[in-house]
Amino acid sequence: MRRVLRWGLCWALAAGLSRTAGAQERTTLGGYGELHYTNPTGPNTPGVVNLARFVAYLAHTFDDRLTFRSELEVEDAKVEGGQPGGEVSVEQAYLDYRLADWLTLRTGLVLPPVGIINETHEPPTFNGVDRPGFDNDVIPTTWREIGVGAVGTIPGGTGLAYRVYLVNGLRADGFSASEGIREGRQEGPLASFANPSFTGRLEWARPGWKVGGSFWYGGTANADSVLGTGSFAAPITLVSADVRYDVGGASFRGEVANINVSDAGAIDARYGTTVGSRIAGGYIEGAYDLLRVLVPGAAQKLNAFVRHERYDTQASVPTGVTRDRSLARRLTTFGLTYKPTWNTAFKGDYQIVRNAAGVGEHEVLSLGVGYQF
Amino acid sequence: MTIVLTALLLAAQNPAPPAAKVAASIARVFGSGTRVDTLQVDSAAVLRVSRADSLLGFAQVGNVLGKDQPITFLVAIDPGDRLKDVDILVYREPYGGEVAYEPWRRQFRGKTAGDSLRVGREIRSISGATISVHAVTLGVRRLLADLTAWHQRGAIR
Repeated sequence: MRRVLRWGLCWALAAGLSRTAGAQERTTLGGYGELHYTNPTGPNTPGVVNLARFVAYLAHTFDDRLTFRSELEVEDAKVEGGQPGGEVSVEQAYLDYRLADWLTLRTGLVLPPVGIINETHEPPTFNGVDRPGFDNDVIPTTWREIGVGAVGTIPGGTGLAYRVYLVNGLRADGFSASEGIREGRQEGPLASFANPSFTGRLEWARPGWKVGGSFWYGGTANADSVLGTGSFAAPITLVSADVRYDVGGASFRGEVANINVSDAGAIDARYGTTVGSRIAGGYIEGAYDLLRVLVPGAAQKLNAFVRHERYDTQASVPTGVTRDRSLARRLTTFGLTYKPTWNTAFKGDYQIVRNAAGVGEHEVLSLGVGYQF
Repeated sequence: MTIVLTALLLAAQNPAPPAAKVAASIARVFGSGTRVDTLQVDSAAVLRVSRADSLLGFAQVGNVLGKDQPITFLVAIDPGDRLKDVDILVYREPYGGEVAYEPWRRQFRGKTAGDSLRVGREIRSISGATISVHAVTLGVRRLLADLTAWHQRGAIR
């Protein structure tokens, strides 16, 4: 062990000394945002306009190896004491220490590399005004926690890249029947580190292709005497897979995930909830750039898309809990995404919301604008 | 004075790649045992690659900005002004490194300055690497156009 440490230190020092001269300190600004208009069907549901997200990206490069990156987000445009709605949050804030293409060490508030949308959530990168429901209710996007980890590409032209982190865990007291583990996220403020958790991703890329697999494993008990005080007490295990494929004017993507909440029965008894012991689902989406046909040679894009999601936050329930079939959701969304440039998007879609119980089914018309730079 | 300032500014904005990386890239693209001369055109340095008095082509190193880091790349053309290859010399971002993969770079081979090089059309993109894909494609287009123009008007020969 000591020998490994000594070599590691030598190597880190050598890497530090070999920095090329002329490293420049500089600061980079960027951002993204989205504006939504949503109008659900049904009585007493007027249309709503909302500046859903306004995010400023701020990065600073200290030298060839050390960079700070952050995103500061205002959700729903305004936060006022005593008023409902709105959120100001640091969505990411981390330091990267780049040792080689295959190894960058990362410390800070990071995004667990789970699924497609959690890491790549800028509005022009996805079809539909709002993010897929799956990426809210199953994978709790935008998921961010504090920890340390490593990211890099696997050398040799393999097309493989990885990210692994050790971060603070989820808290079972936030779990719910309809949104699964979502409100169990801690997101940074004075987060309990009672249940250190592991998360990671391996992905493979080729022109037009990206295929990835992700996981999360960790306890959620937060040292609660009823659920257990061990580091991995009341664990959850998440595995997910996703694929993106573009060919000609067509593009396809899909995500699936399965989350096992091992001690759902104990969690439900302790907090009086009805969290499923298994949360599962996924979606597939296809799109075609109509301008390929309408205006051959156009640099702009007009994607017509359709997405079908199926997921259930009570795919299984612990003994004593009755399954709520309205949580087995089916969302079909179709619409258009007009992209005058690759980093701006004007969107319109129609979403059909259904569930296995046939309760509260409705449709939603949405319009939106998104940008990133 | 202005020239000096411009040169300084350019130097500051354009991190130089280690010489060994450039040499390795030239060897990979043109084969080993080549002679490499540096020609100065305006403020740019063009590498002239030859073997036994026969011209193999030209190469130039450029930088484009990714999300927050410069991407240092090399463009090489043959004597007929066709793109021989693109190489990513230094990639500094934590995401988007897929632009260095051979299957992506391969798409540029044989292209000329007159060819259209658009992301999503002639050049397929990679999800999650969009910013780098656009930046490098733009950079390749610029260097290919410069090298071709200089070669055709005899500034490099």
